[in-house]
Amino acid sequence: MTNQSAGSIDPAHAFRVGIDIGGTFTDIVASGPDGRVYVRKVSSTPSDYSQGICDGLLALLAEEAIRPEQIDIVVHATTVATNAVLEGKGARTGLITTRGFRDVLEFRRVRVPELYNLDYVKPRPLVARQHRLEIDERMGPKGEIWVPLDEDSVRIAARRLKVEGIEAVAVCLLHSYANPVHEKRVGELLREELGEGVFITCSHEILPEIREYERTSTTVVNAHLGPVMQVYLGRLVDRLASLGVGRSLHVMTSGGGQMSFRRAATRPAALVESGPAAGVIAAAKIARRLELAEVITLDMGGTTAKAATVEHGSPTRTSEFEIGAGISLSSKLVKGAGYAIKLPFIDVSEIGAGGGSLLWFDKGGLMKAGPQSAASEPGPVCYGRGGTQATLTDCFLTLGYLNPNSLVGGRLTLQAQAARDAVAEQLATRLGTSPEQAAFGGLTVAVANMVRAVKSVSTYRGRDPRTHALIAFGGNGPLVAAAIARELAMPRVLVPRNPGVLSACGLLDADHEQELVRSFPGLITDLDPETLEREFTGMEQQARASLTEEGFASADILVTRHADLRYAGQAYELTVRAVRASPADLAQAFHHEHLATNGHMAPDEAVELVSLRVTASVPTPDQSGPGEWGPVRTTETKRMAYFGPDFGLLETRIVQRQDLAGQSLAGPLIIEEYDSTCVAPPGTTASLDAWRNIVIDMGQPE
Amino acid sequence: MTAIDPVTLEVIQNALSSIADELALVIMRSAYSNIVRDSMDYSTAVCDHEGRTIAQGLTTPVHLGSFPDAMQALIARYGGAMSPGDVFLFNDPYGAGGMHLPDFYIVKPVFVNGVVEGYVATLAHQCDVGGIAPGGMAVYAAEIYQEGLRIPILKLVDAGVPNAAILELIGRNTRQPVQVQGDIRAQIAACTSGERGFLALIARYGAAAFRVYTAALHDHAERLIRAEISALPDGDYEFEDFLDGLGENPTPIRFKTTVSIKGDHIHIDWTGTSPQVKAAINGPMPTTRAMAYLGVRCAIGAAIPNCEGYMRAITVSAPLGSIVNPIEPAACGARGVICFRMYDAILGAFAQVVPHRIPGANEGGSSAPHIAGRTKDNKPFIISGGLMGCWGGSFARDGQEGISNPAANLGNAPIELMEQRLPVRITCYEFVPNSGGPGQHRGGAALRRGYRLLADDGVLIMRSDRRDVLPYGLSGGMPGTPSWNLINPGPEQKVLPVCPMQSTGMVAGDEFVHVQAGAGGFGDPLERDPERVLADVIAELQSVDYAADVYGVVIVDRRIDSAATKRRRDALRHAKGRPRSYLDHYAITNSLPRPSDRPNP
Repeated sequence: MTNQSAGSIDPAHAFRVGIDIGGTFTDIVASGPDGRVYVRKVSSTPSDYSQGICDGLLALLAEEAIRPEQIDIVVHATTVATNAVLEGKGARTGLITTRGFRDVLEFRRVRVPELYNLDYVKPRPLVARQHRLEIDERMGPKGEIWVPLDEDSVRIAARRLKVEGIEAVAVCLLHSYANPVHEKRVGELLREELGEGVFITCSHEILPEIREYERTSTTVVNAHLGPVMQVYLGRLVDRLASLGVGRSLHVMTSGGGQMSFRRAATRPAALVESGPAAGVIAAAKIARRLELAEVITLDMGGTTAKAATVEHGSPTRTSEFEIGAGISLSSKLVKGAGYAIKLPFIDVSEIGAGGGSLLWFDKGGLMKAGPQSAASEPGPVCYGRGGTQATLTDCFLTLGYLNPNSLVGGRLTLQAQAARDAVAEQLATRLGTSPEQAAFGGLTVAVANMVRAVKSVSTYRGRDPRTHALIAFGGNGPLVAAAIARELAMPRVLVPRNPGVLSACGLLDADHEQELVRSFPGLITDLDPETLEREFTGMEQQARASLTEEGFASADILVTRHADLRYAGQAYELTVRAVRASPADLAQAFHHEHLATNGHMAPDEAVELVSLRVTASVPTPDQSGPGEWGPVRTTETKRMAYFGPDFGLLETRIVQRQDLAGQSLAGPLIIEEYDSTCVAPPGTTASLDAWRNIVIDMGQPE
Repeated sequence: MTAIDPVTLEVIQNALSSIADELALVIMRSAYSNIVRDSMDYSTAVCDHEGRTIAQGLTTPVHLGSFPDAMQALIARYGGAMSPGDVFLFNDPYGAGGMHLPDFYIVKPVFVNGVVEGYVATLAHQCDVGGIAPGGMAVYAAEIYQEGLRIPILKLVDAGVPNAAILELIGRNTRQPVQVQGDIRAQIAACTSGERGFLALIARYGAAAFRVYTAALHDHAERLIRAEISALPDGDYEFEDFLDGLGENPTPIRFKTTVSIKGDHIHIDWTGTSPQVKAAINGPMPTTRAMAYLGVRCAIGAAIPNCEGYMRAITVSAPLGSIVNPIEPAACGARGVICFRMYDAILGAFAQVVPHRIPGANEGGSSAPHIAGRTKDNKPFIISGGLMGCWGGSFARDGQEGISNPAANLGNAPIELMEQRLPVRITCYEFVPNSGGPGQHRGGAALRRGYRLLADDGVLIMRSDRRDVLPYGLSGGMPGTPSWNLINPGPEQKVLPVCPMQSTGMVAGDEFVHVQAGAGGFGDPLERDPERVLADVIAELQSVDYAADVYGVVIVDRRIDSAATKRRRDALRHAKGRPRSYLDHYAITNSLPRPSDRPNP
């Protein structure tokens, strides 16, 4: 699918375009070799998303006098895959399993994510029971064949699926991670019987790892999304090709890496969190530029807030995720609400607190914020679109944080009095306070929720937020960032440029990446250094090859090695770097990581190797230099804003980002921008760094 | 006196929950035994300075209600004699607030300025604590002395100094020292990590204000539950349910409950319940109270914070010497099974109060097979892992299959991990066709799992139930389907009782199959929407014959024959006996014994 023309891509001189599709808006950003960044926000076109993308892109290119053929690299983040699952629009999917185990998918891990709720309903399996068919074969845990494959049983199953009009088939046989020979043959037979029109995924191709439910579920999600994503990406390729744009078309993965469109169309399960991942990637880039060793990111939009950590420039990753689980404070503990995907993800903790979150009281009189949201329709009271329940945005307005007249450069007018009335009637009366005090209460409760999300990626993993900087983005992140930083005694908040479209910017920053994982179980003491080296080298060659095929020069490719280890008997692995490492070095690194993460280690106990990971990447050069200073505008105004019982109602300066150039201003301060508003409360100071990030110094911790 | 600000209260509640979650996460990540890491048979709590629970990790309900008794026992014993850096360990059901010996409580007091301001508490089910049978759940233990190591309340860590002798002693008294010691380490690490967060939280508000706020949290939870209880009609609601009993010739064991609702208070009494038994299924009072809290919370159908204050609205009584309030040294290793039956009885009583909210009985609780022995190189193995489950049909919907019992939210162990580490081949793990109780909303389908032993020999210890006394149906729904324990299914099969009173020998190649009970139905089966019957037939959960005989729905070529269905349903309504009972269909379809096939005692 990639437009292969002569010569390999020069990462240092490429024009890049990042496209981030959300449900409402599509953000398009472009950057050239001179480091300038062009931004455009257009409405999404759900009937055919590629239409909106291409119209927006053409307009942007025309405006900035960029020729389509100048664009080398297009990187894309999309919610199309996620929405297909949430809206039940995936393919009609079949599943082939080992005889006796077709219900593994529906048993899941049996646990439910809610206690005491007799009305709880499990997510409906993505494959109906009559489309989960069993075949005769059985593999043992060492890859030994206990029962040979009965090919007739496969053909019978295939014909049944054909009659049922199945569009995609997942194949997951027990222990196929240890020996894929049966799965491979089943794949061949299915192709013979069903033809090219049916999408087929075998579990060993997508997740060659032990644990049958997680592997089955991941494979099923992949099959379910396959046909939808093939159509979607195919259309986009065609449209971009007709414009002459892009030699290298990539999609961001949930792990923050990239994949060619061609590969992505066969592995859509790897894309479901591409949007959130892109935001964290952008923040990681900022952390690297500023050499910040420890960063927590906060991305707050209209319905949710997401937190992640970045350590030494790399986002923290996980392989446990459930699509469709809704709000997941800590996806590792509360399982079962969605469809498991065990692939690399940036570890993002999400909580239902956004600008649209509704404020309410429980029966015992406690104030709550969210997770119910007024969303964009009817929206907060102040939007005047029929919303009647007070939201967090109405609180921000009542507090004086938001411009009382309009947002987004005047495109959205606000009804401040209606918001204030709602806060007064619904919250202040109940609490017996002023509307400002009640609104501050709403903010405080929402901040408490978000603090939980931040903690679940930091303190829960033994990381201390007090040594981290907070990078805040999304439409609402900069509004609440200082309040969260204060709650967690974090020293510093950064608000990057274009905070409202930062995810799209992250697409420009991501490295082109190819990760390979190979199951390699055994005791570390049984492993000799040569075998380990041979295994890693083989994986490296394979990973490099897939990038050179996409048009990258071999010399630009960097390779890193990691290993997953655990104490013999444990079930959860920790990942450590494995640079030219001997087995003994790996064990040592594991002991230390176990101490750091779990607070204890057992140096005398046997360490088990679980799998090897190799990542080949083409680093994207940091093209943007420190920004030029715009002219300092004298647009400064003032308005009253409320900062809690300690400070009360204060006259607050309203400035623009460039007003901070070359000077440090003491809070209270509100910085208004096109796509976001940033609040620096009393006791803090705000300034601009060389990259034009707003830096809020939180002052002395309490 | 600090004035209570509702916003600060919510903030503190969130912070406490996140500490409890953190405790749980540390244990899960670093635990060794599959019962902790895969089944998640453990719980965590944060307690105030009086040992009252103020937050809990999302784990296992059976455990959660037991923390109050455990904490009171700890404070009674060591109240004035705790030092910073202490960590306590105990498991004894008699005198130490425990429930059964495998449940190890590890608790750390949190000191501020030399005063205990709270506790972080963990409870994990250890995979083996010695005793008469591997796994610590031998039904046939007659006294607690046969069940393994009893641990009174001890300082596992004394003012920061670990007592290595205790760990060594435990190591010598378990068949799985590496796993047990590893899980203990995980529990200690969780306490240490939870303590940090707890201290930071108290430091923020000051100890005095923190106490005021925790008191307010208890009051808040109490207000919430009392508001819910007040909305229920006053009255005494009785219900009884049974365990099949023990061994080859079981006598049913009665669980008789009276739920008394008066104003904003509920009392649950167990008068009329069978006396304690000479087997390991006696449940000391902490267990009995835990089930009362659970039953009420499920029945009221509203979210209540995990603060001990809500428990003030619920009282419990049980005759001393009954199976739900036994006298030392009654054995209690396998007491889980009576937890489930207490839960069923309480919900059965509530079905008279809020009939639209209570489903038919579920599978009856987790079935707990243990197959143990030694491998060729003399290493001990235990193949275990509780099996669940399905829910009963309810006013709103069909019962679900493949779901954990609300009383014990446990996970299943991955088959591939079991086979990789243990000498076993799992032969099937699937839903059983034509199972579950018929109803307008049917009960969930039963599960079946088979184990083929690959080691030279081993012994099977089994705890299950619901073969004679089936999971109840409600509002005209039929009872669920019976459970079976079979060795080498087929013409030569050996049928084991639900709770064999001895271990059963197995040799290499032997297959043990457990078929669990299916759940009870809700409403008249003849009122079931024919489309739903058709959907179940298409999903191969029910056969065409079953649909016709049990539901009167006539299906031809995957279509409903409406006219024939009407005739069939009319005939069934007026027939005295139905053509063939759903239990016959279940038995024949699955080659299971029929009740009439069983020899009379």
